[in-house]
Amino acid sequence: MRLKRFTPVQKAFHILLMLSFLVQAVTGTARMYIETSWGRALASPFGGYEGSLTVHKYVGLFMLLLFLCHMVYALFIVFAEKVGGEDALWFRFNDLKQFFAHLGWMFGGKAPRFERWGYWEKFDYWAVFWGMIVLGVTGLMLYDPLSTTAYFKGWSLNVALWVHRIEACLAMLHVFVIHFAIAHLRRHNFPMDRAMFAGDTDLEAASEERPAWMARLRSEGGLEERTVSDVPVIGLLISYVIGLSVVVFGIYLVVGGLMNANLVSW
Amino acid sequence: MQRTIITMALLIAGAFLALPCAAQEELAGADRYRMREASTGYYQEYEVMPSRGSPFVQWSGAKQPAITGGRGSVATFAVDAHAMVPNYKHQRCVSCHKETARNNRHTTRMNIACRQCHGQDPIAGINHYFSPLNPIRRHAMVCAKCHQGASGSFAMYVVHEPPPLMAGTAKSFPVLYWAVWIMVVIAVGTFALFLPHTGLWMLRELFSSKEKGGDA
Repeated sequence: MRLKRFTPVQKAFHILLMLSFLVQAVTGTARMYIETSWGRALASPFGGYEGSLTVHKYVGLFMLLLFLCHMVYALFIVFAEKVGGEDALWFRFNDLKQFFAHLGWMFGGKAPRFERWGYWEKFDYWAVFWGMIVLGVTGLMLYDPLSTTAYFKGWSLNVALWVHRIEACLAMLHVFVIHFAIAHLRRHNFPMDRAMFAGDTDLEAASEERPAWMARLRSEGGLEERTVSDVPVIGLLISYVIGLSVVVFGIYLVVGGLMNANLVSW
Repeated sequence: MQRTIITMALLIAGAFLALPCAAQEELAGADRYRMREASTGYYQEYEVMPSRGSPFVQWSGAKQPAITGGRGSVATFAVDAHAMVPNYKHQRCVSCHKETARNNRHTTRMNIACRQCHGQDPIAGINHYFSPLNPIRRHAMVCAKCHQGASGSFAMYVVHEPPPLMAGTAKSFPVLYWAVWIMVVIAVGTFALFLPHTGLWMLRELFSSKEKGGDA
């Protein structure tokens, strides 16, 4: 039995963000490492140094547009469907308590009873806002330097470029190492968590990790409408191919970046 | 008689008031045509000719004398900045200008040679009044070679960027120093928290008993 955690709209947002983030990571890394043969190999499918910049700019605009659409969608969800209480993604004091309870479990204690959203999922969700704001502002500053210097001094481009770089490295490492490890590579979800893809979440796995949510669903009577049978094999195959290839390529970017870091004049 | 005196006083006062008004001339401010500069490339007369006072403060002047083989910062004001360099003809730019050769994205990314901006011999110091790299006309005579429509503000991009994390940058480029340090602290702090957290989590899950593992 499978449990539906996300709507198709939310899955579409996630997969579009995933693909655009991957394109930005590849083109940005290619331009950062253009002095190395690895960077030039990464840039060659996009047309080299200049082609990567063009793709980077347009996909960046697409990401900003996607972010705005998500803001409209989130506001609609919050005000129209009256999402609140345990279903909301706001940080609460209980998340801090669960974080330390989770740490206690990691050292051998008792497992905490998570609700619908764990604290790490809330952090991942709001981290995208931080990244979009920092990368968006600095990215728009660097989009057309001539227009930017009509409003800012030229040395602000130096600052924007460095902030853009560091934030990009932070975002890439957080997604490709921490998010992939927690969401896909740990034993509970291995080899891939299909909550955001076809197939949804395993009912027994959700019962084990989110017992508070399952108990609330059973008491409120919403469990039956959320349970579905598994998808056909073709859906499973497509989900695993897309998800695992992104995971492998993300780890490849991290490893390649770390191996070639000393060859770049930063 | 009284009317005559009042009329004479008004005429004299009017004459004195008109004199300074006649001397006024509308001068374009440095920021007035900023947008037009970016779009058309036309420049004010004072931006290319040494006729009136410059609206640009020479921010690139050395604040304290730099000990460079006996030639102080006066070299940046000289018509030939390398006049007294021994064995000048057989040296490369990076032989002396080691620090400025680093962190130059124009060189490392676009393969721009030094002389493409600094010009041929004799290379005037960047603060020499007639130097192409003087901030008065840098945007028009140097940056606009590649960046069409470059403005004076655009030319304030620091091409020879100091290393952002070094302590000396806190004096030469404090905004860059603090911004980069803050971002580095945020990034390292995030990883210092979540990398051990994730590692412990994955390690603990290997030793936890469960009926079935993940999606099956």
